Amino acid sequence: MTSRSPGLAPAPRTLGRCLSFGDTRHLEAHQFLVDEAALLDTQDYDTWLSLLTTDIRYLMPVRVTTARGAGFDTAPGMAHFDEDHYSLSRRVARFATEHAWTEDPPSRLRHHVGNVRTFALEDTDDEVVVESAVLLFRSRGDVREPSLISAGREDLLRRDPCRRVPSAGHWMLARRTISVDESVLRTQNLAIFL
Amino acid sequence: MSDHGAVLEDVRRGMVPAHIYNDEELYALEKERVFGRSWIFVAHESEVPHPGDYVVRRVVDDSFIISRDESGVVRAMFNMCLHRGMQVCRAEVGNASHFRCPYHGWSYKNDGRLVGLPFHGEAYGGEEGFRKKGQTLLPAPSLDVYNGLIFVSLDPQAPPLREYLGDFAFYLDLYTHQSPEGIELVGPQRWRVKANWKIGAENFAGDSYHTPHTDSSVVEIGLFREPKASKRKEGALYWAGSGGGTTYKLPPGTLDERLRYVGYPDEMIARMRTTWSDAQLRMVGDDGFMVSAASVFPNLSLVHNWPKVEDTESDDVVPFISLRQWQPVSADETEVLSWFAVDRNAPQRFKELSYKAYLMCFGSTGMFEQDDVENWVSITSTAAGSMARRLRLNNRMGLLADDKPVSPPLAHFSGPGVAYVGFGEYNQRAMLRAWADCLETPVAPPEPVDLGGTS
Repeated sequence: MTSRSPGLAPAPRTLGRCLSFGDTRHLEAHQFLVDEAALLDTQDYDTWLSLLTTDIRYLMPVRVTTARGAGFDTAPGMAHFDEDHYSLSRRVARFATEHAWTEDPPSRLRHHVGNVRTFALEDTDDEVVVESAVLLFRSRGDVREPSLISAGREDLLRRDPCRRVPSAGHWMLARRTISVDESVLRTQNLAIFL
Repeated sequence: MSDHGAVLEDVRRGMVPAHIYNDEELYALEKERVFGRSWIFVAHESEVPHPGDYVVRRVVDDSFIISRDESGVVRAMFNMCLHRGMQVCRAEVGNASHFRCPYHGWSYKNDGRLVGLPFHGEAYGGEEGFRKKGQTLLPAPSLDVYNGLIFVSLDPQAPPLREYLGDFAFYLDLYTHQSPEGIELVGPQRWRVKANWKIGAENFAGDSYHTPHTDSSVVEIGLFREPKASKRKEGALYWAGSGGGTTYKLPPGTLDERLRYVGYPDEMIARMRTTWSDAQLRMVGDDGFMVSAASVFPNLSLVHNWPKVEDTESDDVVPFISLRQWQPVSADETEVLSWFAVDRNAPQRFKELSYKAYLMCFGSTGMFEQDDVENWVSITSTAAGSMARRLRLNNRMGLLADDKPVSPPLAHFSGPGVAYVGFGEYNQRAMLRAWADCLETPVAPPEPVDLGGTS
């Protein structure tokens, strides 16, 4: 179906195009991701939503086990998340009701973010592509085993044209592709964001 | 193994010993007597459309390759090399002309035939030592297809699938046969929940009582207009053959108006009109009941709902269909496989919006599903202890003390089976009765298969 990308793992980028770790854009992008992780850990989703562009695409394909030569490693036409601003806003609104039982009591969440690399684009200074790894630790109650979700992310950050968003460098998230590292998720649901 | 007669007796009178949702002994018995004989859904033909396409699916602990061979025949083959027992296919989806065992290189055509056996002459003395000719990967004891849905049974004497489904096929058509070409199935999303497999199957079969409460958040956020208690209890609950489900009562109107209310475009409605039987059309058009959640015993469920998926002023909704399997992992853990289903002839735009509707409501990220699973995980862990062995849960909603129904079955209902309007645990009881019938009936010991040499 046309609107769905096959969701292949991000294409390997050449080291040469990766911004130096001292580059301001990289420092801002890194800070954006760490600040964002704090919002996601504390489930401050209204603030998180304010950092997303209105044309956000938030995609988490379903990974599948395939032969090395198969040429694909995601389930064709299926994703865990395949979201736009409206659907994300409904998810956030739902957590704000008093009846989102799955997160009441809330999970204890820790988004560990690392392996951050920032790539400049040739045609614009107001967008960068940022790769990162995220490891989410999620603990609920006192009986269940905690769950871990490991994923790679490829983000497109775009600078707020009005320079009003109070994020590092006024960056906003315009696109995120989450490449989860398991074919069968070991968590009861994805009532969280990565 | 203890005598479970008392448990089955309790279940049959609608009192459920809570430990059945987390009990190692009962789980061992379920593997043998429920999953060892029932028809188990494994895949849909649209998942393996071309020769060589395959998916690998399990029936509890048994791995099967579901493959379409070069002549177009769909097969289910036990994924174990005939030689030393290695899995011959370790991917879960792909296309292959052959499966080659990584251990010693035995290879099999995608119809299961053993075609490659290294050093057959030197090591075995050729056909005289190991008869290669005619050997195949072990086929599933029974395989049958309905509306493209592929089921296997571990019982070689299983009745034909259509007979097993019985009158539930009438309802299954409403999900999977909206046009002559039927559905295409996309997915599945797979995830593990620490919940017993029966809880989800029972919930989908008949628990309309939970929607106004558990799923109230999706109404509050404007996603869904239906599950208000008043709406939900006007729906009919039906049980027919091997399955049962819930329905919504649609607002008054003609067949077309009612299907439009659910969000179907006119060209799909036109195909339903020529595909469905008169009785199927009457159930929607005259009776005003539209299928929602359902389960086929033991572990296949379906769901059909119609949320709002776009940020517009209008109240336009888009229907979606999902199939899911509650694949047991252990007494207290289930792998959920959840697929998106859509009529193959639906307009492309409809398919895209319907997929979006599915993702918002059900599956690993679905907003309905999230709160449901929270309940089921909690039930399962609480059912593990000794207090749960003292408590019999009341599963008698809809029955008076003398077993008479609170209200009589629907007199005018166009579908087969028995239907009631209002809340009631009729279908949960029917699921558990089928479960009890299986558990008390031993299965015939399987016939071992000898390979190759001995004559």
